[in-house]
Amino acid sequence: MTAKAVLIYDWVDDRLGLSELAAFARHKTVPVHAQSFWYYWGGISLFLFLVQCFSGVLLLVYFRPGAESYESVRQITFVMHFGWLIRSAHAWSANLMMFSILVHMFSVFFMKAYRKPREFGWLSGMALLGLASVFGFSGYLLPMDELSYFATKVGLEIPAAIPLIGPAMANMLRGGPDVSEFTVQRFFALHVVVLPALFLPLLGFHLWLVQKHGNASPPSEEAKPIFDRKTMPFMPNFIRKDLAMWLISLNILALLASVFPWALGKQFDPLAPAPAGIHPEWYFMSPFEMLKLLGSWLPGATGEYAGILLFSIGIMLWTLIPFYDTKKTSGQRGRAAHYFGLAAVCLLLATTAIGYWTIR
Amino acid sequence: MNYPFWDIPHIGSGWVIGMIAIFHVMISQFAVGGGLYLPLAERKALRMTDAEGRADWLKQLASHSKFFLVLTAVFGTVSGVGIWFSIGLTHPEATSTLIHNFVFAWAMEWVFFMVELTTIAVYYYTWDRIDPKLHLKVGWVYAGASIFTLIIINGILSFMLTPGDTWIGVAGSGLEASKFWNAFFNPTYWPSLFLRCCVCASLAGIWALITASRIDGDKQPALKTSMVKWSVKWLVPSFVAMPFLMIWYYAMVPASQRALLTLGIDTINSGTFSTVTRMALIIIVTSATIVFVAYFLAYRNPTEFNLSHAMAVLLLALMATGAGEYSREMLRKPYVIGRWMYSNGVRVPSVAKINAQGYLANSEWVWNGAGPGIPTSHYSRGEAIFRGECGSCHTLTGYRPLQHLLEGRDHANIGNFITMLHENKADSPYRRFMPPMVGTKQDVEDLTDYLNAQVNPPVAGTRSLLTAQK
Repeated sequence: MTAKAVLIYDWVDDRLGLSELAAFARHKTVPVHAQSFWYYWGGISLFLFLVQCFSGVLLLVYFRPGAESYESVRQITFVMHFGWLIRSAHAWSANLMMFSILVHMFSVFFMKAYRKPREFGWLSGMALLGLASVFGFSGYLLPMDELSYFATKVGLEIPAAIPLIGPAMANMLRGGPDVSEFTVQRFFALHVVVLPALFLPLLGFHLWLVQKHGNASPPSEEAKPIFDRKTMPFMPNFIRKDLAMWLISLNILALLASVFPWALGKQFDPLAPAPAGIHPEWYFMSPFEMLKLLGSWLPGATGEYAGILLFSIGIMLWTLIPFYDTKKTSGQRGRAAHYFGLAAVCLLLATTAIGYWTIR
Repeated sequence: MNYPFWDIPHIGSGWVIGMIAIFHVMISQFAVGGGLYLPLAERKALRMTDAEGRADWLKQLASHSKFFLVLTAVFGTVSGVGIWFSIGLTHPEATSTLIHNFVFAWAMEWVFFMVELTTIAVYYYTWDRIDPKLHLKVGWVYAGASIFTLIIINGILSFMLTPGDTWIGVAGSGLEASKFWNAFFNPTYWPSLFLRCCVCASLAGIWALITASRIDGDKQPALKTSMVKWSVKWLVPSFVAMPFLMIWYYAMVPASQRALLTLGIDTINSGTFSTVTRMALIIIVTSATIVFVAYFLAYRNPTEFNLSHAMAVLLLALMATGAGEYSREMLRKPYVIGRWMYSNGVRVPSVAKINAQGYLANSEWVWNGAGPGIPTSHYSRGEAIFRGECGSCHTLTGYRPLQHLLEGRDHANIGNFITMLHENKADSPYRRFMPPMVGTKQDVEDLTDYLNAQVNPPVAGTRSLLTAQK
């Protein structure tokens, strides 16, 4: 560094304590083993979230919620210079983010990274996944084309099926008995104000925990003596590889957004019959299909109630897993948690596949 | 037209060429760039004063040349023949025109190709068996032969985009071959040649990174460092010259084709007309990433550069090459040979004749007038016209599916659309990308009936429109 640069650095360092941060980063290490690849998925999710923020702000400039939603999205897609690209990048990065969060969650689960002292990391991660799902659901309606209108209508049947409070909750979300421009305004407020206000501090907390506790090693690695375990410096080695993964993600995103630009369907018509093949986004397909299956097996509203109950219990058990599988050594509970995870993966994949297979 | 139609359901015959060509280009351009890489690297090794370093380099180069031999002489050769088969079946009219003009060029290319195949085999099998200086000379012969194959094929490929006014002036007169050199050194020849040379050098470096990444950085740090760093340097010409060469190339392309690049800026328009813009975006993003990864992961940290990193760079190069070749193809639209032959094989000067006589009357392989003892065609006139005029670029249900693109239109609407394509007026937005629909009024009606039957299938019990117009 030149003398002037050193002076500037020292000035900033005196006030912000950059040297302490640099020293922390220098001493921090990341385990190196056969499963190290899975460490990058949290970073990929973060990168895609940043893409969401950037592209979302650009869309916000031209998007007009309410009665003009469709027209404004049409203008973004077909009139504004590179509007189609920003919209495609936003939609594709949302889907890729959901995918990477799910991969991150399952990798954390199977590497037992939820065990002490990382329980809060797991819980905050689950909350972030929940919020990301609501981000996806609320954003999907905003173009107000035929597909998003009917998919939201179908999607809101899930909370509406909750006993007692369900119908009132669905009415509140819709802003009335039907999906309309009021629903768009509510979803818009949720999408750009309420959810970011909840998501950002929670994300900060999650990242702080990751820095505080570091990356967890899988049980097979922890069983090794300390001198047999390999590590790499966080700065610059891990950061460099993490950034390379970001670049690869950017390329995949650019490829998808350019080769398969996000389509805009016909404007919604509440009086028209629902087009064939209406279904929720892929990450909601599993609960949707479970409700559908149980609804067809059990009589009346019992199927819907049973489905919601089953799904709620499943998510609750999944979230509380750090308090069940607590020991460092993989005993009976560790194995049970592992099988529970495998069963969850199989159930999600099977019901999603059946859901797509049976689309009419 | 003069040849039967090659029907490939779902993906269309164009993609058969596309898939083979992208694979082939990755390897053939490596064959050229890598052909230069090997003797230059060997010369560098032979000049090393450090005996151990020299031995390590030569051993690594021998290993790289084995990889090079297998990849270029086996996969490159097979895919090259695959291109011949696929273009002959997909675009027989265009292939015929190219052969009639460039048969001498291809004969020369094959001579150089034979020299390439022979010398690379000799080069690999004579490591440590002949005098090093002679071995190096064999490498130079290979490099020269492979560069000449590029010099020749570039003339033919660039001709398809810009045949040049002189050749166009004699096209169709039977004297086309007399303007061989004008056609060969056409307006985009030089920028295209330099662009391809840069790509060849980059691919030589990228493929070399694959073998260099497999060197154990813990056991041979010096070798890995020098090999990886030297290979990364092969990307520099592209990094520096590519933007200027692209501008030069762009300036030499006719204005009507240049406009295709900007079509995708403000609209996706169902995705069809913005392809060149979208592919250009992919080229920019992937190329920039390759430069970043090559510098930060390979050049700055050579010993940690592993096979997965190298594979990622290769994959990015595949994306960039694929997008580049696809854009080059799309830039020719609506022609397969600029200003002379439309992408469906109809020659530009033949349009008036076909409009007067009918499309099927000029299609040798459609027996549309069944006589005594001649079996009737199993498909209708409309389907025959669809196959001949639309099938080069569209399928019914897969790639660029007409069932989807015409969705929501009724019979009259489809008829109006085809009439618009038939009239091909100067202000038609489809004119930039699509050939005119040629034929008589009856042909327009037959194609309309056929497409309407696909988009709006007839209700059971009514007469099928598929066979109504036979």
